[in-house]
Amino acid sequence: MSRRLDEAPPGSQPSSLVPDEPWVRWMAWAPWLGNGIETARQVGAFALIAAGTLVTERRRATRVIGPLVQSQVARAGVRVLPIICFMGVAIGALIVSQTTLLLVQVGQADLVGPLLATVVVRELAPLTAALVVLARVGTATVAELGLARAMGEVEALEALGIDPVHYLVVPRLVGMSAAVVCLAAYLVLTSLGAGYVVAFMRGLAMTPGDFAGAVAGALSWVDFPLLALKTAGFGVLTSMIICFHGLARPLRMEEVGEATTRTVAHTLVACVVLDGLFVPVYMAL
Amino acid sequence: MDSIDPDVVVDMCGAALGAPDGGRPLLAEGVDWVVRRGEAWLVTGPMNAGKSALLETVAGLRPLAAGSLRVMGQRWEDLRGDDLVALRRRVGLVFEGRGRLFPGMTVVENVALPLCYHGNLSLSDAAQEVDDWLDEAGLMPMASETAGRLSPAWARRVALVRALVLRPELVLLDDPLAGLDASHGPWWEAFLGRLRHGHPRWNGQGPALLITSGLPRSIPALGSGVRYAVMEARRWREVGDGRDESTSREPGSCGGVPSRDGSASRG
Repeated sequence: MSRRLDEAPPGSQPSSLVPDEPWVRWMAWAPWLGNGIETARQVGAFALIAAGTLVTERRRATRVIGPLVQSQVARAGVRVLPIICFMGVAIGALIVSQTTLLLVQVGQADLVGPLLATVVVRELAPLTAALVVLARVGTATVAELGLARAMGEVEALEALGIDPVHYLVVPRLVGMSAAVVCLAAYLVLTSLGAGYVVAFMRGLAMTPGDFAGAVAGALSWVDFPLLALKTAGFGVLTSMIICFHGLARPLRMEEVGEATTRTVAHTLVACVVLDGLFVPVYMAL
Repeated sequence: MDSIDPDVVVDMCGAALGAPDGGRPLLAEGVDWVVRRGEAWLVTGPMNAGKSALLETVAGLRPLAAGSLRVMGQRWEDLRGDDLVALRRRVGLVFEGRGRLFPGMTVVENVALPLCYHGNLSLSDAAQEVDDWLDEAGLMPMASETAGRLSPAWARRVALVRALVLRPELVLLDDPLAGLDASHGPWWEAFLGRLRHGHPRWNGQGPALLITSGLPRSIPALGSGVRYAVMEARRWREVGDGRDESTSREPGSCGGVPSRDGSASRG
């Protein structure tokens, strides 16, 4: 008589690894979590090396590294500005158009400005700026660095006595971080401007001065250093994960595409985790 | 404390060359090799015999699987920071094929990069020296071309100039004559001859030249006194200068490199 494969053999004890038990299902996440922690450790070590190089080599070849930093700011900042302005206008308009009706119904229309300022300054501007830079520049940069690694250009730099971390990573770290901070500021300004225009068009009786006052009243002075800190953190995280996946591991040509996909996933998770770390800080304000 | 012979630029002892991370599979074993200042070596062997690995190891780009290596009396693994950069500047490596140029940069930018980086110069500051080099290599007509658009032969010439602009004392050339046509081959041979016999930029004293070749060949322009070695079937074999079977290292002398006067010295 045949026996079903999922039946326990006669005389054996029932397996303790019953798939339906909740803790077994949680255990299935363990390898995923372990990989995540290991990748975080490697990116952290890579970031420490980059930070050490940034400090110790700060006076070396400034006439070479300086223009490279400028080109990264132009690439990740200036060229991304139009899409950031578009995103800012869209975010401001969408938030205001979705909330105005509700706030008018509950007689709290004056809260449109403060609501917009809080959501944009504290959450959406840093995250959106980092993700736009990731999508617009980061993926191309991973491919660029991965190809440089695969084609042996990193060894060529070393043979010339040029530290690849100093030449390839430091300009991207500084340039992208500065770009994300600046883009977040532009995103805040454009979304507040667009938010006021949409609110005005929907009949909100506020002058620009009243709106600005309401926005200013909703924020405390700590919001501004926190915004800078958060956006800089996103910029550092994004640039480090990009450079790590492009450079830290030897890549073959066919692995460059996969490295790019992995970069996007890791950066998204890292930014959301960092975002979560700021939540208790904002709740304490 | 043992002394280092200042005349020795490469001192390899019982070396095993492996994968890029220094591990297996081994490409060559038992390499005992001493290169002295001003010498020219031609290392031949079939494909995948480990010739490129040999040059990359001497240039400090890949670790040894076994044995020891000193370049200008120093071990790569002991060096950090400025000391490492200083030694790298004394060694020039021309990679095989297209020479691993930076394809998005122009010819001028490729050649100027080491000058600008180590001298903290802007491109305009280095322009005169770069132009002189490009002129000598016949590269002026394509100075503003992107390196990625050059033919392999011209790209290799740019890689040569890029490796030489810092005037290294040891020049490693990985199969520089492979696949060159009738217009490029003679130029390379003549240029290597000028390097060997005292290029003006080295104040008349040529750098030590280590040249690999996939074909058993000689380079007449290098003149007499060229040393030959063969890498084959994971073995290293020196074949003297073609007239005798002398080796660069006395048998059993890995503990001390014989000086020209016969005394043993070793770091």
